[in-house]
Amino acid sequence: MSFFDRFRKKKKDAPVAKEAKKSAASAPVASGVVCKTKTPESIEANYMHAADLGELLPGAPPNGKIKLAIYWAAACGGCDVSLLDTNERILTIGDMADIVMWPIAVDGKEKDIAEMEDGSITVAIISGAIRNSENEHMAKLLRQKSQIMVSYGSCACFGGSPALANLVAGGSKELLDYAYQKVPSTSSFQADYHPDAPVMPQTSYAAPEGELTLPVIYDRVKTLDQTVDVDYFVPGCPPLQETISHMLKAFVDFVYHGVPLPPKGTQIGVTTSSLCDQCPRTKEYRRITEIKEPFQVDVDPDLCLLDQGILCLGPATVGGCNARCTIAGQPCRGCYGPTKAVQEHGASALTAIASLFPVLEDDGIIGEDKIMDIMSTIKDPLGYFYAFTMAKSLIKVAVNEKGGQ
Amino acid sequence: MTEFEPKIVAFCCNWCSYAGADGAGVARLQMPTNFRIIRTMCSARVDPEFVLRAFSKGADGVIVLGCHPADCHYIGGNYRARRRIALLKLVLDQYGFDPKRMRLEWVSASEAEKFQKTMTEFVDTIKELGPTPLKEVKH
Ligand code: SF4
Ligand code: SF4
Ligand code: SF4
Ligand code: FES
Repeated sequence: MSFFDRFRKKKKDAPVAKEAKKSAASAPVASGVVCKTKTPESIEANYMHAADLGELLPGAPPNGKIKLAIYWAAACGGCDVSLLDTNERILTIGDMADIVMWPIAVDGKEKDIAEMEDGSITVAIISGAIRNSENEHMAKLLRQKSQIMVSYGSCACFGGSPALANLVAGGSKELLDYAYQKVPSTSSFQADYHPDAPVMPQTSYAAPEGELTLPVIYDRVKTLDQTVDVDYFVPGCPPLQETISHMLKAFVDFVYHGVPLPPKGTQIGVTTSSLCDQCPRTKEYRRITEIKEPFQVDVDPDLCLLDQGILCLGPATVGGCNARCTIAGQPCRGCYGPTKAVQEHGASALTAIASLFPVLEDDGIIGEDKIMDIMSTIKDPLGYFYAFTMAKSLIKVAVNEKGGQ
Repeated sequence: MTEFEPKIVAFCCNWCSYAGADGAGVARLQMPTNFRIIRTMCSARVDPEFVLRAFSKGADGVIVLGCHPADCHYIGGNYRARRRIALLKLVLDQYGFDPKRMRLEWVSASEAEKFQKTMTEFVDTIKELGPTPLKEVKH
């Protein structure tokens, strides 16, 4: 039995004590609730039920339809698909709103938006990070034309996977050189067809018919709220249907019933604690002696993944997704972002995971190099712990120092 | 040109290293003045986020000092700390920092001289490395 085992019992008791306290405080949770549209039950149960939107929206709103714009910046499209996944409700949204722009589904163009009056769009929902001049231009344009701006999905909220490119120290030049000259397909293309000088994408090209332009790719990927003022954040890669329903409910309640919107800055659809509180897996608080990938083991369906040596970021990730990955036997990669209490998702995950490595019998006499060997069994910690939140981390870019990697 | 004077943040645990630093002061041991000490109750209180914040705000080096292994006032705090710091070092290395900018050292309450030696060495190391590379990049 290791030294820390004696704390285990205490830890196990803690949730019970917390629950008792919660039920004693019967009043609806007023402060510290990140999402007003969340019912007190859902906090207690720590499970995000879909917000009740009624069977169908009740026709046109009393004060006429609102205008809705949906846009993708540096996004994979998954966020748009998640909005389409609202199934038949997507049709009834047409009763509530005129969709003035949605590249994946409707025809509104940039110039149509530019011609609109400032503030004439009620809600703009933007997914994706800001990685080039077009993303930035559209974010600024939509901000100018809209009353409410929603940062939708992990890329918009935290930078997401696109922001991992911030770790390329050479910035956009290195990225473009790599993509257009170094990967096997492009390198052979360049060698075969442009042996003298590689052909590279230009931001402007004088064609006989006139000038053609492409957006300028930036050195650093930013979040939406590092670019424009944002009113609401909806995390997730992509946001879960339950999460989306809470966003829709806030708008439906406002448009049809005049219920005030949640306070500015609200993160919609997240709980007040970490994902582990939502996760149904049994926690045995075992120590990590060997790191495993899910494919390397027969994943026990009931036991906490960390207990099985699989690096799960649940302890550092805010609850909200109802543990959709861990239920499916995959570790949480942290797409809903950090809990309210911390700024750095990566550091928080790193701390949680490092603390799970057992104290050794000879810990009192071994040196730091031995500890380094043990911790080095975690491959690519920067990429793993910051997979979704690089653009929001304290150090947002790679540096290039002799001695470092 | 004036010599580069690094800014260094030193986290000292209350029970050993801070007392060691105090001892060094009382004994009037000569040391460079490039570091600012932040006292924490234990080396385990040093959240990796603190270290990253120090670097993000322009620290040229960060050193964490705690009780020797097996001597932590809270029995096992430094065992946790050394694992976190090791992992944090790997992260800093991946960012492209020279790993020497971050150091972990054990200094007991009676080791005023070790404190002096460690800090002098660390300041020298950072002077050699030069200003934080974060200064050059917009971050
Ligand atoms: S958050 Fe995920 S689903 Fe949405 S755009 Fe980014 S990568 Fe795609
Ligand atoms: S599997 Fe992950 S989310 Fe679930 S309890 Fe374990 S660490 Fe937490
Ligand atoms: S379990 Fe983690 S990675 Fe999976 S959806 Fe939830 S927050 Fe995202
Ligand atoms: S009290 Fe000194 S390291 Fe824990």
